[in-house]
Amino acid sequence: MTIITRRHFIGGSAAVGAGLITGGMPRFANAQAGEITVTAFGGVWEEAVRTCFAAPFEAKTKAKANVSLGGPPQWLAQVEAESANPPVDVLIMTPDLALTAAKADLVDDFTVEKLPNLAKIPQELTDSVMGKGTIFDYGVGGITFHKERVENAPKSFAEFVDRVADGEFVASVPSISYAVTPIMLIWAMANALGGGVNNVDPFFDAMAKMKDNLVFWAGPNDFFNHLSSGEAELGIYFDGRTWNHYDSGATWIDFLNPEEGGALNGVAVQKPKNADPLAWDYINEVLDAENQTKFADIMNYGVTNTDVVYSEKLKPRITPWQKTAFPPYEQIAEVRNEWVDRWNREIGR
Amino acid sequence: MMSETVQTAIPARRSQPLRPILMAGPAVLFLVVFFVWPLLDNGMRSFSTGDGGFTFSRYVSLLTDSFYLRVTAETVSLSAGVTVISVLIGYPVAYFLVRKSGRWAGVIIFLLIAPLLTSIIMRTFGWQVLFARRGLVNNLLVDHLGILSAPLRLTNSPEIAVAALVHVLVPFMVLSISTVLQGVDIRLEESAKILGAGRFRTFWEVTLPLSLDGIGTGAILVFMIANGSFVTLVLLGGGLQTLPLMIYQQFNTTRDFGMASAMSTILLVIAVFCLFLQLRLVRRRGA
Amino acid sequence: MRALDRDWVSIGLAAFVVLFFIFMLAPILVVVVVSFTSAGYVSFPIPGWSLKWFQNIFAYQPFIDALVVSLEVAVGATILSCLLGVPACLFLARSRAAWTNAVMTFLLSPLSMPMIVIGFASLFFLSWLGIGISFTALLITHTIVCLPYVIRTVAGVYGGIPPSYEEAAAILGANPFKVFWHVTLPLIRPGIMAGSLFSFLTSFDNLPISYFFGSSSTNTLPVVMLSYLEHQFDPTIAALSTLQLLMAVVALIVVDRIYGIDKMTVAG
Repeated sequence: MTIITRRHFIGGSAAVGAGLITGGMPRFANAQAGEITVTAFGGVWEEAVRTCFAAPFEAKTKAKANVSLGGPPQWLAQVEAESANPPVDVLIMTPDLALTAAKADLVDDFTVEKLPNLAKIPQELTDSVMGKGTIFDYGVGGITFHKERVENAPKSFAEFVDRVADGEFVASVPSISYAVTPIMLIWAMANALGGGVNNVDPFFDAMAKMKDNLVFWAGPNDFFNHLSSGEAELGIYFDGRTWNHYDSGATWIDFLNPEEGGALNGVAVQKPKNADPLAWDYINEVLDAENQTKFADIMNYGVTNTDVVYSEKLKPRITPWQKTAFPPYEQIAEVRNEWVDRWNREIGR
Repeated sequence: MMSETVQTAIPARRSQPLRPILMAGPAVLFLVVFFVWPLLDNGMRSFSTGDGGFTFSRYVSLLTDSFYLRVTAETVSLSAGVTVISVLIGYPVAYFLVRKSGRWAGVIIFLLIAPLLTSIIMRTFGWQVLFARRGLVNNLLVDHLGILSAPLRLTNSPEIAVAALVHVLVPFMVLSISTVLQGVDIRLEESAKILGAGRFRTFWEVTLPLSLDGIGTGAILVFMIANGSFVTLVLLGGGLQTLPLMIYQQFNTTRDFGMASAMSTILLVIAVFCLFLQLRLVRRRGA
Repeated sequence: MRALDRDWVSIGLAAFVVLFFIFMLAPILVVVVVSFTSAGYVSFPIPGWSLKWFQNIFAYQPFIDALVVSLEVAVGATILSCLLGVPACLFLARSRAAWTNAVMTFLLSPLSMPMIVIGFASLFFLSWLGIGISFTALLITHTIVCLPYVIRTVAGVYGGIPPSYEEAAAILGANPFKVFWHVTLPLIRPGIMAGSLFSFLTSFDNLPISYFFGSSSTNTLPVVMLSYLEHQFDPTIAALSTLQLLMAVVALIVVDRIYGIDKMTVAG
């Protein structure tokens, strides 16, 4: 909700002055009754949210769900800045940001009373964000490769490290500027190579071995640039985005979940404190089996309601979450900053 | 210099006391309220221990840790390097634009701002297509011309990051120089030539000094923007570690806003110091 | 161009300029070509030609809404920057007081602050003021980063203009407003134009600040593009870049028809 809207502005700069003055006035509840603001990424994601979650919500409650496009760090900052009157009613978060929000006491507890469908979500997934939210959709960080340029792709992290270190190919891995790197790369690889959350030396040793044959991707699209321009032949990447790329015509791309298990990379849904109670109805739709099935079909990502049955096309693509490596998000959050600092000093890019 | 003699010839009488406040006041006030205040507010985070206490530890580690000192040095040298390269490349282009382009001026201006209108992600893709290991440049050099036996590793090098920064910042340099250069009376150059000065002497002693204000403007803009930019470095890598990149990391990966705030204070102090030096230099020589 | 100029220095200069523009345009050209691809994803070289990605822009309403917001913010912030910045320059460029440099440094200092810091700090501050996520907030924060461009370019031009012009007009009896309108303004117009151009482009391309103020009614184009790219990488983004270039061409042609480019910015 805004004090002066864009349209008013066009009337003239006087509105700016007026806005500054009226801006100090107290504000009332988040929009009028029967309207909530939910969050989504743009493009396909937004369309999936509209058809799979917002539409059934609107049909059942007769309320309206506005979809705000953006990203988790933005929404979290907005809720932090105005926690008494949060500008969004439902949050879509990465697990580490979800934990930050939970620890800062910015979000409400999830219970089966408020969310009947929560009973169908594995308890571990709700526990992983301290019960203040749950994971409704997930990807796996595994090995994505260019089929025509990589013959019998590495089946495990260990093999990946050895063959990249030997110079057989150049690999593209997430850079430290990417928010999920501590989980999908540092922890996942340390875990696979015999270390863990308290010992990431195996990861840093592996990186030292591979250093001449590595490039780093800073955002999910960067990785595709690396593969298509020939900068790299394979890398550590997500399954869902890989299949999306395949479906849009890049049939040379393929993915495999490493034998040790790639890191589960969940998307959490949360409700900010003081948000409109209608948000519970919406979140219940997000956790609904039928809605999630549709969502998975569009997004190529796994979903978490245990009643979901994937389509024939999707079945071979989705790694059941039990076969992934489930990251100890809370413990990672405690040591993450040390890892980042060590990365800066040892890897330095 | 011309302007100096004219200026001193006419006694200046322009010291009504209200004018400074009326003219510069609104801009200063605006920035004090909407720029300084929020940043001071935010700057408090850099001294906070998290449970309400007070600490200097972040500044101590930023100013004593050899890693952070190296990062700070790299930030300044990158900005300075990009600025110098932009002057060297930008000046001839600005000169051409003002003196030689004629009807083509519009086209040239468009070409200059084109990079700024192209989404950074797509621009990065463009760089990668050209300079990747199997990119167009390497294909040309290795397969078609046979100059090289193995492809060059062009991307992920500091050079490509510098090139990409120059690519987006040089338009600021060219347009800053050209706006001043066009105010330089071409007759001054012509009379210098008539008086027997060679082409290079004319340039060195007439044109260049008169356009110093433009170089100053361009250098300040380029230096300052380079000093605060991180997106190009994030996307093109190159192994450069600068303060803005570290700040971005604090926001994005570690969410340590106290550290981000401390780093941005250091960055601001450096920038303001360099800026002050540059302005003194420009003023002394130009005015 | 006179015959005298057709010697090796001029040829060298022209060759340098050509090389310069190859450097400037090569990556952009790749992007423009990709926007016409028939493939379903971003790749180069392209397998065939198609206009479908341009249709896709117009089929996706958030792009259009955000484009309008971006244009409004960019124009608004540029106008505000000129209103605040030009008077300040007129004073600072002439003042000989010792603190002038300090004030000038202060007015330019937002340039060197990483915009993500400005955005983050402003979100909390403006929310506290009660204008949190609004068009006003976008306008204020964009003006912070646009102002320095106007100030520096105008000061750069004005500093080189001898005060004798204005003083002559004043001696001839023109009042200060007339002096400004008929003498000063035409002289500093190139500076204002260049500063406005920088300001517009800076605002239009801004992501790190707009990001924090995004909502369904205040999302700018870069924010929507970023969010769109989170889960798909189709050539729509390339098509948007091409469209922006096209808009710039049209704008420059219009300006040229009305004023003449040469009078507007450079090449006097």
